[in-house]
Amino acid sequence: MQLRIERRMVPHVPWGLIFCVLGVALLGIWNLASASRPPLAPVWSSQAAYLGLGVGAVLVVCLVDYRWIQRMALPIYVLNILALIALRFVGHTAKGAESWFVIGPLRLQPAEFMKIGVVLMLAKVYHDDFRPNEPSYGLVRLWKPLLVVGVPFILVLVQPDLGTALMIGLSSLTVILFGKVRWYLVATLLACVLAGAIVIWNDYIRDVPEPRPTIVRHYLKKHQSQRISGWLDPEADLRGSGYHAAQSKIAVGSGGVSGKGWREGTQTGLRFLPEQHTDFIFSVWAEEHGFIMCSLLLVLYGAIFIFGLGVGFNARDRFGAFIAVGVVAMLFWQVFENIGMVIGLLPVTGITLPLMSYGGSSMMSVMLSIGLLVNISMRRHMF
Amino acid sequence: MTPPTLGNTTPGRELKRRFLWLGLAMTLGMGLLSIQLYRLQITRGEEYSAKSVANFVKEVRLRADRGVIKDARGTILVDSRPSFDAFITPAFCTDCAEQVIPRLAELLQWDADQRKKVEDLVRQGRRNAPFQPVPVRVDLTRDEYDRLAARRDILDGVEVAPVPHRFYRTSAVLSHVLGYMNEITQEELERLNGDGLRYALGDYIGRRGLERYFEQRLRGEDGVRKEVVNARGQKIEELNVKLGDNAVVQPKAGSNLVLSIDMRLQEEAERAFPGVTGAVVAIDVHTGFIRALVSRPGFDPNLLTGRVTPTQMAQLSRDPLEPMVNRVAAEHYSPGSTFKVVTALAAFKSGAFRPETVVNCPGGYRLGARTWRCHLDRGHGLVNGLDAMKSSCDTWFYKVADTIGLDPIGEMGKSLGLGSPTGISVVAEVPGIMPTSAYHDKASPGGYTKGMALNSAIGQGDNNVTPLQLALMYAAIANGGTLFKPQLVQRLENLDGQVVQEFQPEVVRKVDLPPAHLKAVIEGLVKVAHEPGGTAMRSRLKYMRDLDVKIAAKTGTAQVARLGAVRLKTHQMSFFERDHAWFAGFAPADKPEIAVVVLNEHGGHGGADAAPTAMAVIQKYLDLKQQDATAPPPRPNQPYTPSLSRAPTPDEGTMTRAVPPPSHLPGDEEGEDLNNATAD
Repeated sequence: MQLRIERRMVPHVPWGLIFCVLGVALLGIWNLASASRPPLAPVWSSQAAYLGLGVGAVLVVCLVDYRWIQRMALPIYVLNILALIALRFVGHTAKGAESWFVIGPLRLQPAEFMKIGVVLMLAKVYHDDFRPNEPSYGLVRLWKPLLVVGVPFILVLVQPDLGTALMIGLSSLTVILFGKVRWYLVATLLACVLAGAIVIWNDYIRDVPEPRPTIVRHYLKKHQSQRISGWLDPEADLRGSGYHAAQSKIAVGSGGVSGKGWREGTQTGLRFLPEQHTDFIFSVWAEEHGFIMCSLLLVLYGAIFIFGLGVGFNARDRFGAFIAVGVVAMLFWQVFENIGMVIGLLPVTGITLPLMSYGGSSMMSVMLSIGLLVNISMRRHMF
Repeated sequence: MTPPTLGNTTPGRELKRRFLWLGLAMTLGMGLLSIQLYRLQITRGEEYSAKSVANFVKEVRLRADRGVIKDARGTILVDSRPSFDAFITPAFCTDCAEQVIPRLAELLQWDADQRKKVEDLVRQGRRNAPFQPVPVRVDLTRDEYDRLAARRDILDGVEVAPVPHRFYRTSAVLSHVLGYMNEITQEELERLNGDGLRYALGDYIGRRGLERYFEQRLRGEDGVRKEVVNARGQKIEELNVKLGDNAVVQPKAGSNLVLSIDMRLQEEAERAFPGVTGAVVAIDVHTGFIRALVSRPGFDPNLLTGRVTPTQMAQLSRDPLEPMVNRVAAEHYSPGSTFKVVTALAAFKSGAFRPETVVNCPGGYRLGARTWRCHLDRGHGLVNGLDAMKSSCDTWFYKVADTIGLDPIGEMGKSLGLGSPTGISVVAEVPGIMPTSAYHDKASPGGYTKGMALNSAIGQGDNNVTPLQLALMYAAIANGGTLFKPQLVQRLENLDGQVVQEFQPEVVRKVDLPPAHLKAVIEGLVKVAHEPGGTAMRSRLKYMRDLDVKIAAKTGTAQVARLGAVRLKTHQMSFFERDHAWFAGFAPADKPEIAVVVLNEHGGHGGADAAPTAMAVIQKYLDLKQQDATAPPPRPNQPYTPSLSRAPTPDEGTMTRAVPPPSHLPGDEEGEDLNNATAD
């Protein structure tokens, strides 16, 4: 294990990636300063502290050779699983979900770190299980990746934290698809998506008199069911399930081209948006800065993804490549789902927006992931 | 197991291609987001901007003051007084149905129905306008107010606020004309707001009478104050600058109504009217403006404006005397002998009769196999036209009807406004019936016969008029043939007393009546009040002080029940079968100013039971005229304080007037001995 930065690594530092990440994070702090204006607690200063910590974490991760991380992937993974299990017993319950460890003033959300664990473990599996002369993954050969994904997925789902579970599922699925599977699996997947669409159409959209014949709806919990109906038609129940979605759409839409100005947002200032500094932070940005700055933010995020994938593209081994894919997929799905729900494209799930939302655990896990990318990029020369 | 070193080889070309695809997919994903952003922020940006403004701007309605109603001299008859009302604001009323409303029900002693009603109101409010306070109880008593104030801490979302309430200072007097107000219904709300008027649920709207007819003028225009509120409905003062200059639109007060009714004359009419049911109307003969208007029994508009309980409402609608009916215009009656002026005018116009035409009255008139009785069984002997009018000899008029038939009489009546609406429009009215042969051909089995003409000629049969029509007719005779449209409102004034709209006298038509005919009729009418044997002479002598003033008058006693073989005395009949006592006339006869009609329903005889009221009203009119000529103009805008000892309220009414009707009605005993001399 080497804990130093050699001179030959320096040309490979992904400055573009770092620049974009820091840019988004700083915009995020600026935005938080607006979202948490008086009389709310000024959380932007602690977010700045978290960013500082995050940068430290990036440095730490950079120092370690990622091949050492590769060796440690299994322990990290197991440790995270254990933490999730422990959460069942000593976790702190908030909003009906046991998802926090409370250690003094710190609140840790192990599910956030689990995401990285899964990515590491998956990458390790794909690295170890490389058989260049065989055809792509069939169902039987997929047991290892599926096991790696399945266990944490179930554990997070029963917390219940549907959002994070979804993120783990989606980013792992991206990695698995990236690892190439047989065509029939792809076909099955598409069929499943289609079936899901049909179920939703039947259970929520189709215009039939009550009681409507439902396929899945009656198995869902009420708040989950309401999220779906609230997503499909937020205006139908403005005071209830559709409130978040409708208010958030109003906030975004009222931003217009150039926005209402920093700290001038009315939806934000008058607190029509709950969770405005965590899950719905993008609506604050959109309301106050408008379409042009929203596009800028999307471009920055896009740049992070492209630079991240570039790291994987240039990686010298499969482990590095798969970590890059996993990390970028994870970031991408979070950004996509979060912004998608804020602008009414996707149902409301409790997903934070990487680098923008307030929260230490979220910031940490994103920075650790970025650290991994930087690490991989810097060690291109090793082979 | 594949050796681990295999994974360490540089990823191949195929893996790199997959990176490109993945990058493309993510770019597409970001593109998708920006398309949706474009739709929200650019395409529908305006719409969402409006929505976000609507989110935080709460419009508080500033109610306009409703116009007051004054009498001709500016005495305030209807205005507003503060009342403490309880409201629930649904948005701030947590646990409303489970906690707050039951507590409120307990404090205010509501029954289950009322509670249910309030629950529905609040639920509806929560859905439609959660920040709009819903009135749940008007006019709290002192006790209730204290109880609510003491328990305010456990009544989330309940507030008690002073609200202007309509106050009818005259109580039951003039109630049919003034009308009343009550809460707007959902359908009306939708209809009126569809027409661009801005009403809200819980608003009061004028019902009946002036309140209804002048609703839009009295109401004024509500103003609006915009306020910035946060998601919890709390007002944020420092953000009010965002609203700009037009944050407040001041309300515009409604117009004040100035009636043509003089409250002093009205009071005298109320005082002098003896009957439990009936009407008095005094009208200016040269303009058609109504100076006094009594319709009895009345109701209390204060009670009906928001405070009436279902029991009281039922009592009102079940009352056999129908206190809600305006007897001046919305009910018609057989005019009895007061109609004889029409017959006389028709007779003179036909040329077959002249005032000097003498007819022998043996106490009845034979037509075919039947005899039509004169009211005086022993007969009037030889009477000419003038004496026939004076003593109300039926036989003379039977002869007229027999000679000229029904149609000339009907035409004359119609030209004088009978059988068609007067066009008063402020209050509801019925057209009455002026029969002609065509009417009978259509309406009566067997068609028109001569007997019908005989009945009509003396104001019986199908002949029906409203007191208002009769008054206008007598006014037309007095002023030389001009039929006016009756009016109650002189002008609309704004808050400062400046005239907004002045109502001018409106002529319905000029009736072509030869002056000679009119003179003859008036001469007959004057005899009624001035010569011995005239049916109104005794009353005039008894109730008029200015005896040199000439009065033209006609009394009438309209049969309600069909005559039996034996004439029953008044006290032998049940109340609802008794005759209507009528008076119609004008004064002074030589220079007419005011026409008065009195209808004492089931009151007995015109001469005894209706004429005194009219005489008192005429005397008061003359007194007031003299007084106003010498005294300085009255101080306007004084609130009206009733000087009447008592005005019957509907509650009292139903209690004292329950069926069977009172055995002792005013005028009963007198009726006996006056019968021979003055009965018509």
